[in-house]
Amino acid sequence: MISPAHNAKADQLFAYVQERCLWQFFSRTWDRQENIEGIVDAASALLTGKQPPRHTPMEKLFYSDAVIMVADFRKRFPWIESENPSHIHEILGVLKEKLVDIAITNSKNHELSHSLY
Amino acid sequence: MPMVLLECDKDIPEREKHIYLKVDGEDTRDFLPVSNAQTIPGTLSERGCAFCGAKLVIGGVLKDTIQMIHGPIGCAYDTWHTKRYPTDNGHFNMKYVWSTDMKESHIVFGGEKRLEKSINEAFDEMPEIKRMFVYTTCPTALIGDDIKAVAKKVMQERPDVDIFTVECPGFAGVSQSKGHHVLNIGWINEKVGTLEPTITSEFTMNFIGDFNIQGDTQLLNTYWEKLGIQVIAHFTGNGTYDDLRCMHRAQLNVVNCARSSGYIANELKKQYGIPRLDIDSWGFSYMEEAIRKITAFFGIEDRGEKLIAEENAKWKGKLDWYKERLKGTKMAIWTGGPRLWHWTKSVEDDLGVQVVAMSSKFGHQEDFEKVIARGASGTYYIDDGNELEFFEIIDRVRPDVIFTGPRVGELVKKLHIPYVNGHGYHNGPYMGFEGFVNLARDMYNAVHNPLLKLAATDIRANDVVAYREAAE
Repeated sequence: MISPAHNAKADQLFAYVQERCLWQFFSRTWDRQENIEGIVDAASALLTGKQPPRHTPMEKLFYSDAVIMVADFRKRFPWIESENPSHIHEILGVLKEKLVDIAITNSKNHELSHSLY
Repeated sequence: MPMVLLECDKDIPEREKHIYLKVDGEDTRDFLPVSNAQTIPGTLSERGCAFCGAKLVIGGVLKDTIQMIHGPIGCAYDTWHTKRYPTDNGHFNMKYVWSTDMKESHIVFGGEKRLEKSINEAFDEMPEIKRMFVYTTCPTALIGDDIKAVAKKVMQERPDVDIFTVECPGFAGVSQSKGHHVLNIGWINEKVGTLEPTITSEFTMNFIGDFNIQGDTQLLNTYWEKLGIQVIAHFTGNGTYDDLRCMHRAQLNVVNCARSSGYIANELKKQYGIPRLDIDSWGFSYMEEAIRKITAFFGIEDRGEKLIAEENAKWKGKLDWYKERLKGTKMAIWTGGPRLWHWTKSVEDDLGVQVVAMSSKFGHQEDFEKVIARGASGTYYIDDGNELEFFEIIDRVRPDVIFTGPRVGELVKKLHIPYVNGHGYHNGPYMGFEGFVNLARDMYNAVHNPLLKLAATDIRANDVVAYREAAE
């Protein structure tokens, strides 16, 4: 169970992503899922002092989106620097759930699951 | 009351599903306008046709390609010279227009022979040009002319030419969006991978969904050159036919207009494993972010920071001058689709401008997800708006300036509201750092134009009878 304080912090990050990040709104369900997973995981790694992998083209893509987002998180939400790694994982896990909910699960976009582009 | 039934729509209540007023605490899980749907009978839509989406928006931009339009002459004229996409080879695409000029007898007896003759005539008249797009239109599609077969025959007879066919008549979809789609998918399936590029840099990308409106592509290309990134293909601003055949060799697809060109980026990822990076190219904050993401992908962040510093040194002071004078301006954006979400935050963050209403001609629900996520509460979000709706929305939000096309622009000028050409620009380019200063300057000149006040003042004597004067 996530604490209300962490949930409120995830809400701040969610508001930022909604406003700034085009990758959450790609054309189809599987693209959105892939981006949300890949970029939020890369951001978690960066915020906990680790280097996310940058070997494959998709890993490089996730890194390039995440590194900008993390820089903005640090600038806009100073509290993020003092969170320990387990809290970071928890908060970004909630962020991921919120993004999946709005961009996939409860999206009213009727084109999301079309099998073709 | 988030979905809005306007007074002018009382006889077409279905329009309520297309107009949204955002209020605090709501998001796209609660309400999302219906879009990319058939225009409702009774509404005077401002949409273009599917053929227009293929030809005017994407194909007609290419600088080395004959655009043969297989149809009546009007289909050619009405999709020529109405967009300003120059090229660095003397604007070949804007100087000429080609049509098979179909008449009644060709419709009755078939137009394939006429098409073949026209293709050969065009190549004979322009022997230096070896590439062609052929478009079907409503009448030639209805009579079943096989343009692919004709193109194949000509290519067999003239081995030095290459022809791409676009079978997307005007009626093929609900708006120009269908034409974007058909051209994207046709090109990836038939032409990408048929030519190999010369690689000149260890960093390569395609720049997708930018059509060199008043030089956008050429301005942005100065950035990519400074960064040492080779653009294999521009889809399609200032682009060439053969460069677009080489798109499969890029390491990264950078997408600006996801609506017109997201399809090919998706397919390049699916078929060739090339990742898709979506960016915004309008606005300082967004352009900086885009450069940082691209250089992070290639691991050349230092070059990106140097470029950003240089451009800020050149242009930031000018932007701030306009920001000081534009702060609080109320703006409406009535364009195609993506510029709504590209612009709403960039004008707010970079210029202090408040966007109060936005209308999209051909955006899909994906575009409304983006713009509602980015846009403000108290702002109207409209799909496929019509003129009466525009007038009513103007009364509700009282914008100081409207970014839209010349047709709607001329209408709002009669209300003494200035407009700036949101499609072809007033004095672009508008992308990049320099471009956004141009946009700010055009907005400033529009909002502060003293003629607006003068035009609103009736200097005639009190005894003038308007109807009599009009009748004289």
